[in-house]
Amino acid sequence: MIDIWTIVRFLHVLGAIIWVGGQLTITIVVLPPVRRMLSADDRAGMLRTVGKRFAIITMAVFLPNQVTTGVLLAWQHGVTWATLLQPGYGRILAAKLLLFTLVMVAAALHGIAQARHQPGKARAASITALVGSLGVILLATALAESTAH
Amino acid sequence: MTQFVDLIPPPARGRRSGPRGSVFVWANIVVLGWLALAVALLAVHDVLGLPVWVALHALLLGAVTNAIVIWSEHFVVTLCRVPGPPPRRLALGLTVLNLFITAALIGVAADATVVAGAGGAGVAVIATVHTIALFRMTRTALPGRFGYLVGYYTAASAALVLGALSGAALAIGAAQWYVRLWTAHVHLTLLGWVGLSVLGTLFTLWPTTTGTRITDSTLTAARRALPTLAAGLLAAVAGMLTATVWVTVAGLLCYTAGIVLTIIPLRPATTPHGPAAWMLAAATAWLGISVLLDAVRLLVAGSVEDLPGVVTTVMPVLAVGFAAQVLVGALTKLLPVVLGRGPAEHRAIADILARGWQLRLIAANLAVPLVAVGLPSPLPQLGWALAALSVATFLVLALRVAIPVARRGAFPLEPAQKQAHGTTSGVLAGLIAVALAVAVAGSGQDTTATAPVSAPTHTVEVTLTGMRVHPDTVDVPAGTRLVLRVTNQEAMPHDLRLDTGQHTPRLHHGETALLDVGPVGETRHAWCTVAGHRAAGMTMTIRTPSDHQHTTPDSHSDDNGNNSDTAPTAGLDLAADPTPGWVPRDATLAPTTATLHRIELRATEQDLEVAPGRRERRWTFADTSPGTVPGPTLHGRVGDQFEITLINDTTIGHGMDFHASALAPDGPMRTIGPGERLVYRFTATRAGAWLYHCSTMPMSQHIANGMYGAVIIDPPDLPAVDHEYLMVSSQLYLGAPGSDNQVRKIQAGQPDGWMFNGMAAQYDHAPLTAHPGQRIRIWLVNAGPGDSTAFHVVGAQFDTVYKEGARLLRPSETAGGAQVLDLAPAQGGFVELTFPEPGHYPFVDHDMRHAENGAHGLFTVTEQHR
Ligand SMILES: [Cu+2]
Repeated sequence: MIDIWTIVRFLHVLGAIIWVGGQLTITIVVLPPVRRMLSADDRAGMLRTVGKRFAIITMAVFLPNQVTTGVLLAWQHGVTWATLLQPGYGRILAAKLLLFTLVMVAAALHGIAQARHQPGKARAASITALVGSLGVILLATALAESTAH
Repeated sequence: MTQFVDLIPPPARGRRSGPRGSVFVWANIVVLGWLALAVALLAVHDVLGLPVWVALHALLLGAVTNAIVIWSEHFVVTLCRVPGPPPRRLALGLTVLNLFITAALIGVAADATVVAGAGGAGVAVIATVHTIALFRMTRTALPGRFGYLVGYYTAASAALVLGALSGAALAIGAAQWYVRLWTAHVHLTLLGWVGLSVLGTLFTLWPTTTGTRITDSTLTAARRALPTLAAGLLAAVAGMLTATVWVTVAGLLCYTAGIVLTIIPLRPATTPHGPAAWMLAAATAWLGISVLLDAVRLLVAGSVEDLPGVVTTVMPVLAVGFAAQVLVGALTKLLPVVLGRGPAEHRAIADILARGWQLRLIAANLAVPLVAVGLPSPLPQLGWALAALSVATFLVLALRVAIPVARRGAFPLEPAQKQAHGTTSGVLAGLIAVALAVAVAGSGQDTTATAPVSAPTHTVEVTLTGMRVHPDTVDVPAGTRLVLRVTNQEAMPHDLRLDTGQHTPRLHHGETALLDVGPVGETRHAWCTVAGHRAAGMTMTIRTPSDHQHTTPDSHSDDNGNNSDTAPTAGLDLAADPTPGWVPRDATLAPTTATLHRIELRATEQDLEVAPGRRERRWTFADTSPGTVPGPTLHGRVGDQFEITLINDTTIGHGMDFHASALAPDGPMRTIGPGERLVYRFTATRAGAWLYHCSTMPMSQHIANGMYGAVIIDPPDLPAVDHEYLMVSSQLYLGAPGSDNQVRKIQAGQPDGWMFNGMAAQYDHAPLTAHPGQRIRIWLVNAGPGDSTAFHVVGAQFDTVYKEGARLLRPSETAGGAQVLDLAPAQGGFVELTFPEPGHYPFVDHDMRHAENGAHGLFTVTEQHR
């Protein structure tokens, strides 16, 4: 049945879809034609604008949403600081949080490199964040599986 | 004289794409293919249920061996300026080599010993052909300054021939020589074939990579280093084969000295730059470190028994740090030479191959200390993941340039190919982070998973020792949830894998792991996945009663038609004639003379007479050949010293347990492997009739198959008698030692017979003798493994009973007499009697089931002739 927890979980999954899906779409769908069709100057300006907007959405909506809904879901699952270290559900969740933190650090580094006009470093950081966030999804799937028992 | 070396020979006669035509390009793609297979196997071997060594062999036997064969040939042709073989012959040779490698890999993975043996032998043949070809090439033309290369490659190939042959022997199952052959195999292939090839090539490849000149002193050093390296390897392998620690250590140190001799002339004046230089340098450093580690750890361990454990620490270091890294480094340098035509193409290809090299270098070399065993999970897994990622990234880059060249014959040099930087390092950094997180997430046992509790749980202790799984058969009622508690009791690592795919991790000496079999519905098989161990006999069967209903005594309707062995005395005809030439076991207890008893006991397997006319294979302790059951009797007095040397001449592990001694069993009673020896010392402090037996699990099997004997320690006030006899009672279990059928009977406690001194009804056929009025002392030890004994002499009474160190009856206590000396398993004592008149006096185990099925003999008492 749909209850309040369904809605919390929905918001958590929706946030992940928008963030990871958004990055994937930009990398795979938007960037290749942009690189082909725009001049170098236009391209840099456009990428910076998209990057800035993504950063604002991340800081203002995505992060608060994921953290709030995530904490609520963990609380509902009876997760405590101690159970975070136990093998199984707790440890998968801990690994997921760790990886998510790394992803956020990489995303922040991407913003910094972009601002300093270092395209190589910016690209490396954004791809790190993308691959890492796919790993977060993988661990989230494993988490769902371990509660299904 | 100094010179820059150009690895590219003069333009090939009309051939396209690189120096040696398309065969050479494809040969390098085959190398990359094996490397890709190795990485893929490393990632998924757990899911597919393949042992990790398959991935290791895909790397070493597949990728590295192919690379050595094609590049050694290329270097000799290019540097010695001799004509190379026609491409068609090269292609044929490489195809056959790869077929043999595939056969060897599949053969051992699928447990098809003939295929595995043929593959190994085939690789040896190709290596021989390759060596002869190299040799003949340089004989036709003057080799010049680089002729030393042929020496290195010849020595390396010789090592591969020996390594492949020892590998084939392992695959076929050389149980008795397993440890020695295995360590020799590892060293011959890694230090011989790979090591010598790489070090020899390094003298020219390193200066080329760093852009320095090859000087005459470098080439002199190259000629000097080879004898040191080869002598070191030979000595080390000889030491391993003869199980001599100091020879092995000396050989390894000599080899290390050879590496130092190589490095000294090559040390760069400035910091090397570029991926190839760094990878070659790091790889060579790991080679030196691991050989030194090998030697030092062996020296500390001080025993060849620990060699397998030492090697398993060093081998991953060699595979990841040395072999994989040297291959990637060399290909980074050499692939542009093969794939590109002209400086522009070389540069473009080299640029692609260099992408993200700093991160790849860090990942690979960070992985090396992690994969060396001994670190807690998930660090080793993380190390393997890092190594695999590092190699995989290079593979993607290499295949991206190699495949277009192979297909189109040229490298597509288009400016549009230029891509934004950061892709490779981004993907790598992301994957490393994910691998780390997944490793953390998956570590530890998942406690949230609940086990089904409906079925009864049954835990069985399983030990891995002496290249065997003990017990090798486990019977459980159908539906039982079975858990195996698996302990590795020997220095060589083992694991245990079920046919359903569940398996324990690789267990090192003394480690234990739980293997949850789950509810058992039908017969399951399990085995050790370490290469060759299954062939050598490390297998186990789990059965349910439905598989063997014919063992229950009341089931006469046997539908398996396998009835002959099931009745207790089937096949036992106690009145039959013993086989011609049979000699009864002398029951007389030899008098004791010395105070220091030094004896050599050899664990051997013998065909012995176990019942009249019935010879079967038995496990014995033998002081002289042939061995007997029971083993030699030791006879001494209180205070005597005993020094027993146990030598294991069988194919499985054995040990000893002397009840006559009181000492901490940890060391003296340990199980020793085939070919090993153990010295067991004790001082007899207490009198008694003591049992000694094999201490290896499952003891019931070792005792039931004959590994027992008696130690008689006379009480201080023991008077002399006219005749002193010794009887060791035991049960008889027919069948091949360790066979399913025999093990089942032992576990059910359903012997085929009972016996004194190792043979049913022995003294019916060779009666003991005495005269009326003579005082007879009969010592008795019950060896079991399971039944008690009630010793009785028909028609006679005992006036003396000594049991378990105490006199229960003395002749002076006139009124009393005794009829039976009763002994539980492992108890002992003696009785004394005199026969009143001439006649035939049977002696029996008065449990009549035992007496009627073999525990029966005769005293023939005759008038003394004066
Ligand atoms: Cu034994």
